[in-house]
Amino acid sequence: MTELLQQAKRRYESARETDEDADESEATGTFGGVNLNVIHPQLWLLAGLIVFPIFVTVIVSTKETGIVTSLPDLLPGTYALENYREAVVDYGFGRFMWNSLLMSVVIVVGKLTISVFAAMAIVYYRVPYKDVVFLFILFTLLLPVPVRFVPLYQLINDLGWNNSMLAITVPYLASATTVFILRQHFLSIPTSIVETAKLDGVGPVKFMIQVLVPMSKSVLVGVSVIMFVYAWNQYLWPLIIIESEANQVTQVGLQLLQGDVQGGNLSWSLVMAGSVLTLLPPLALMILFRKPLLETFTIQQK
Amino acid sequence: MSTREIFDSRLEALLLLAPTVAVSLVFLYYPTALAFQTSFFDSGFGQAPTFVGFENYVSLLTSSAYHSSVLISVLFAAFVVVGVITSSLYLSFLIHEVDTGQGWYLISVIWPYALPPAVAALVFLFIFHPTLGVLTGPIESLGIELDWFNDGPQAFVVVMLAAIWKQIGYNVIFMIAAMNNIPDSLTETAQLDGVGRLRRLVSVYVPIMTPTLFFLVIINTIYAFFSTFAFVDLLTSGGPSNATNILIFDLYREAFSYFNFGVSSAKSVVLFIVVAVLMLIQFRLTEEYSHYGA
Amino acid sequence: MEPNDTTGHELSRRTTLTAAGAALGLTGIAGCIGGGGGAEFSPISEELTAWHAMGGTNGDTLDSIAADFEAESGIEANMEFKDSYENVLTDTLSAFDSGSVADMFQVDSLFAQQVFDTGNVRPVAEILPDDFDTDVYLDNVAEFFTVDGELASLPFNNSNAIMYINRDAFEEAGLDPDDPPSTIEEVRSASETLVDEGVTQFGITWPNHVWFVETWYGFEGELMTDGENGHAGDPTTFYTPDPVYDLFDWWKGMNDDDLYTNPGIEAWGEATTLFIEEEVGMLLTSTASVAGLIADSEGFTVDAAPYPGISDTRVGPVIGGASFYVPDGLSEERYEEIGQLLQYMSEPEVQTEWHKGSGYYPITQPSVDSLREEGWFEENPNFGVALDQLQSGDASDPATKRALLGPAREVQTVIQDKSVDIIGADDIDSEVESMKSEVESVLEGYYE
Repeated sequence: MTELLQQAKRRYESARETDEDADESEATGTFGGVNLNVIHPQLWLLAGLIVFPIFVTVIVSTKETGIVTSLPDLLPGTYALENYREAVVDYGFGRFMWNSLLMSVVIVVGKLTISVFAAMAIVYYRVPYKDVVFLFILFTLLLPVPVRFVPLYQLINDLGWNNSMLAITVPYLASATTVFILRQHFLSIPTSIVETAKLDGVGPVKFMIQVLVPMSKSVLVGVSVIMFVYAWNQYLWPLIIIESEANQVTQVGLQLLQGDVQGGNLSWSLVMAGSVLTLLPPLALMILFRKPLLETFTIQQK
Repeated sequence: MSTREIFDSRLEALLLLAPTVAVSLVFLYYPTALAFQTSFFDSGFGQAPTFVGFENYVSLLTSSAYHSSVLISVLFAAFVVVGVITSSLYLSFLIHEVDTGQGWYLISVIWPYALPPAVAALVFLFIFHPTLGVLTGPIESLGIELDWFNDGPQAFVVVMLAAIWKQIGYNVIFMIAAMNNIPDSLTETAQLDGVGRLRRLVSVYVPIMTPTLFFLVIINTIYAFFSTFAFVDLLTSGGPSNATNILIFDLYREAFSYFNFGVSSAKSVVLFIVVAVLMLIQFRLTEEYSHYGA
Repeated sequence: MEPNDTTGHELSRRTTLTAAGAALGLTGIAGCIGGGGGAEFSPISEELTAWHAMGGTNGDTLDSIAADFEAESGIEANMEFKDSYENVLTDTLSAFDSGSVADMFQVDSLFAQQVFDTGNVRPVAEILPDDFDTDVYLDNVAEFFTVDGELASLPFNNSNAIMYINRDAFEEAGLDPDDPPSTIEEVRSASETLVDEGVTQFGITWPNHVWFVETWYGFEGELMTDGENGHAGDPTTFYTPDPVYDLFDWWKGMNDDDLYTNPGIEAWGEATTLFIEEEVGMLLTSTASVAGLIADSEGFTVDAAPYPGISDTRVGPVIGGASFYVPDGLSEERYEEIGQLLQYMSEPEVQTEWHKGSGYYPITQPSVDSLREEGWFEENPNFGVALDQLQSGDASDPATKRALLGPAREVQTVIQDKSVDIIGADDIDSEVESMKSEVESVLEGYYE
């Protein structure tokens, strides 16, 4: 960290020297017009732009057919209860959300566990091949779903897992990003603690439970949120491998709400109601756990 | 760093790594290898594949339409990466600097990350549809005519903006975390010395944040190439005139609309190579930059 | 060598290469690629399963048909929604590979040839009970779905393209809503009036879907491809006769003069929305939309009118919609049950229920007869326009048979994308030719 800081200090020194408006800046607290009074309005505008789509989504879900074509159309309608009820009761959205929940929780717990194992092995074990393995794991980031989809379907069918919870959980259990993030984090745990553990003759299991986990609480929470969002938003794979509506997940269920467009069913409002329902769990988690999220994503400055 | 390696049982390491490696092998590498194998065959819907050797690859290499697709994808990724990083940097900085309401601003900026891509695309369509869009009226009164169903470059811009908007949240999380790590002393000194905010961001913060930024460049590149499918599918279907026909959309369509699995497997191999090469270049560049710390 | 790892990029070149080598080596596993054709299949579940793409209320109607069937026959049936026709195909393909298949699957007429070419389907004529008379189907419908003299799949939801007009807008603009445009020239002048009088922003719109182009070909009596549109031989040539140039001239002109607006590729919902929002006074879309349109157009009256042709020639429309295919290779007992379900779905009462609930027209003569008897079409003339259009068409003209192409989806995409290019180009001739050559190279790729 110190080298970077020194570099930074040097840069800022030179910035200060070449900054013609140095005195002026101090007086008015501005440079290029960026002062505190301007920050809030800017944030309002920018954040507002980013929030606008969800606003539209919610408004449309309260309307009867949900056709909004101009700004004045964005007044809330009175069909909210009707639409949400229809989604949940008539289309069984509750069941879809439950399936998604089950799937996501299993994935999160499973992924977390085996990624902690893997990261621990990579960081705390002296074995010759571990860099290779790390790259092997990272490499998977380049293997997207559309590529492996058809052979994967055959494989799952051969295993007899089609239409089961196994099919939509096990293939997701390996995570390159999680291992990467955990590794980063483990590398930042002070060596003093690690060495003390070694001196105390602590075995790997104890080490993991009594040292790693307590020291990684917020990171574990942070990656769990990320993994949950990822699992929850999966569409393509569950669409293909789950055959019965009873086992289906919300993302696919959303399509059911859309209706037969060729047959003239316009159901934007229903789709948006379903979308809001689908959005709530991951959004709630992100809001609840935003502090651990922020802590997770500190890339180590080395 | 070797002082961290406090265990040396190979067996234990093996056991710990086994689940991740096994799942990766069985469910990621193996199907990919099969798909790779498929690229040497010609296969239609439900028909037995016939071996054609490198024919699929040759036809890709000689197809100017495919060359355009590669070029467009690279351009698209470049714009998206730059767009995401600069806008996220600016937003993160604003949030970092502001004195109150940080939590709310943060939430309002990162929420698109939780949105399913298909819903995101649909909502974007709602807002920017050339004739039915909610914001179309106001935008046209600013003098810009929205015609991205017929105008290629405009369609490219629209899809690009959608992709950037969705990814800002993920970047902001990382950047704010990094900014929070910058010692207050440095910030205070800068302020006392009268270094302007923007200057401070660019000349002081960014260099400190380089590891984070390089990581994000890589993540955003992977996002731009692999995760932007829904936007193209729902907004433009690759058009007009293939202006938004990025590789991932093209290969998906080849596989699941045209059912040409042989050709689409070849396309996915090419995509994989393109991204791998870009990754390699990025790694090389970051190696150069981070050596000042060594 | 001690790895000095902190972040990935500092790892040595050697380890990177080793890793890559290991990864590739480990994946050099020979695998078996699934092939198609002539296999034995087993059903995916005890109950009869039908894969379909009818969402929303149409899906509900299907579900209730299944429930009624169960009540009547005691055989359990389950209608599985699969999100889109394409998805049904994708799943069916995978199902063929894996060996467990659904008992029936709904395939859009566009993909018919591809499904035949798998060799994995059994004609429904062989499955339907012997006492079932396949002549009950309306000629034009049966023609398309009959291959080698027998009914290959069960027609179910079929439709034509028709035109809808906004009566109130017409009246306001001084046009006579009882005399809607019947050719594209008349559409143009009606559009000009509507726009000039400030009644609607544009004159007309329709989803950019190949079906509309096909319908124009059909009404003109022009074949799209050789081999009688693929029904009597492999299609290799795509025809672009003069009327087609007239069509694109007109289309381009409409677009240039802002009389037409492009709602998006296959944008059924958006086109319908434009009409409901009264941004356009005329809409071309499926007859299947009729119920929904009438319901959603609260502020004005909707009329259904015959599809405007390129000229006064009116040979006949092409069939749209889908049918149910049944896989081969199941057990005979299974086929008996499937046959019963197929028969049930064709019964007049069921067809009537389906028609009234969805807008897709009834496709069996008994159903049409009973609807006429009860005066349904008098009370609901809009529901009858497509049917009249169908029945007054010349079913014997090969041009009215929707094209049966192997690479149908790809040809569809080419035509749709190229249409946008054509209307945006300065010189349409070269663009039309380029569309022709692209379609032909796609056909060549499939049929070689």
